[in-house]
Amino acid sequence: MEASLPISAVLNRPKQPAAKAPTANAPSIRLPLAFMLMGLAALSIGVGWLIASPPLLVTYHYGQFVIAATHLFVLGWICSIVMGAMYQLVPVALETRLYSERLAQVQFVCHAIGFCGMVWMFKSWNIKQVGHFGSLLALGVVLFVYNIARTLLHAPKWTVTATAIAAALAWLTLTVTMGLFVVAGKCLADSVDAAPAAGPFRDLQHIVEAMGQFIVHFNPIGAMHAHAHLGGIGFFTMLIVGVSYKLIPMFTLSEIQKPVRAALSVALLNLGLGGSFVTILIQSPWKLAFAGLVVIALALYGIELTAILRARKRRTLDWGLKMFLTAVTGFAPLCLLALVLSWPGLPLNALTGRIENLYGFLGLVGVISFALIGMLYKIIPFLVWFGIYSKKVGLAKVPALADLYSERLQIAGYLTFVSGIATTSIAILFANGLTVRIGGFLLAASIATLLLNVMRMLAHFFRPHIEPFAAALS
Amino acid sequence: MNTQVVTEELVLETLRQVIDPELGCNIVDLGLIYGTNICGGHVLVTMTLTTPGCPMHESISQGARTALLSIEAVTDAEVEVVWDPPWHPSMMTEEGRMATGVRFS
Repeated sequence: MEASLPISAVLNRPKQPAAKAPTANAPSIRLPLAFMLMGLAALSIGVGWLIASPPLLVTYHYGQFVIAATHLFVLGWICSIVMGAMYQLVPVALETRLYSERLAQVQFVCHAIGFCGMVWMFKSWNIKQVGHFGSLLALGVVLFVYNIARTLLHAPKWTVTATAIAAALAWLTLTVTMGLFVVAGKCLADSVDAAPAAGPFRDLQHIVEAMGQFIVHFNPIGAMHAHAHLGGIGFFTMLIVGVSYKLIPMFTLSEIQKPVRAALSVALLNLGLGGSFVTILIQSPWKLAFAGLVVIALALYGIELTAILRARKRRTLDWGLKMFLTAVTGFAPLCLLALVLSWPGLPLNALTGRIENLYGFLGLVGVISFALIGMLYKIIPFLVWFGIYSKKVGLAKVPALADLYSERLQIAGYLTFVSGIATTSIAILFANGLTVRIGGFLLAASIATLLLNVMRMLAHFFRPHIEPFAAALS
Repeated sequence: MNTQVVTEELVLETLRQVIDPELGCNIVDLGLIYGTNICGGHVLVTMTLTTPGCPMHESISQGARTALLSIEAVTDAEVEVVWDPPWHPSMMTEEGRMATGVRFS
């Protein structure tokens, strides 16, 4: 250790490059904050929509309003938060530099316009315009994938987290491609009628037609479910699993206990999803086998996460972590539902439809959204603190991250969210619209606590809590 | 004329003003300071962080340097972050463990 060197020797030696600070590589905090505020706005609108229209969760999900609401939720809320967080955390977690902040800014614009237009056009069931807005969103996704992939390539060491992030990027690309295929299939007749005789868009038209011709060979419900699983498992779940292996040890002062088990969970998740995608698309009875692989992958993840937590040196878990861990516990009932729904010869009746609705709701809201809210309590305080206080450290007394928000509100948010999920789940299973509305109110109350806490945090930009050291000591 | 003498106690007391914002505890009681070398007005502090890739890396190390430069008699300060030996909770003071709820065994 170099501390034993005499100071004169250290001061006179040639300057060595210091260990690079990860935060020096992160983009400006404005970019991830912009994604997060957009995500929170979409979440608020989405929950308001659910309260106003409970049939969203008690009717079969292959309808324009359910698809519109789902895309608002998935693209507007979940994707915005995940993408904003990735721009901030991937360079930090992998100790490298974001390839291009400019590309990320362009992607933000494509994403914002793309998802808003898609949701609006799904709602009015104008599939051709869904395709146009979806193409803009896809352009943004291409920029996002390219940017993060180039960032990954510069990571000094390859870890299980990097593998999961790389896989998630590949699945995201396939998800968006599949989505465009589905839209192209629905637009096929329309696009042939309106095809221009010549010009630069003629070739593009041929490509869209070819995509449409291919996808119409598959059952539309199967194609939609395959598309949903690519995004839900391939992008979101893959990231939850992979990023957990970095962040949970970091926040709890622990470490991965069995790296092979962690790597196997990511490998099996990929294998299971690849098989599930194909078997769901072609509606093969083999989907049960691949669903089983995904279940094994998530079981390994659960075992590893439990081992990490048992070995932790930080005894108390903050409420952000409790939210995240409660959310991933939801993988257990979700896996059970997945196995039931994959059962060969399952009758396509009203009960199956309700179980499918419950599966989608639990996956997107109960697990992924709750996990994201938990992580937001780590990410937003960090962004705010970094933006306001990092330059003041050593000059004045600055608050800790936990001082930036109210823990009481956080606890209230936790309890109302869990109650909201339980109430809404029961309501979906019994197709009871009134109870869905009650569950929606509970979820809205939880989100209100989150928004209040976010406002508290952002208020530090206008009224920083900085005390001079002398005053702090007195 | 400045008659203040820079001592290790003064350096450590000054570094107690720098906190790890995630853990909410100062870097001395966290056991992050591995060594100090004082040569007149020049101070070199060797320290670590709880984990490589810590998002607070720059803020904490730069904050430590800023705090050291606030000592009147310090004319130059350098903070070196090292990862060997890796940090362990056994390096924390009793105050640090009480404040953070961190255990070691």
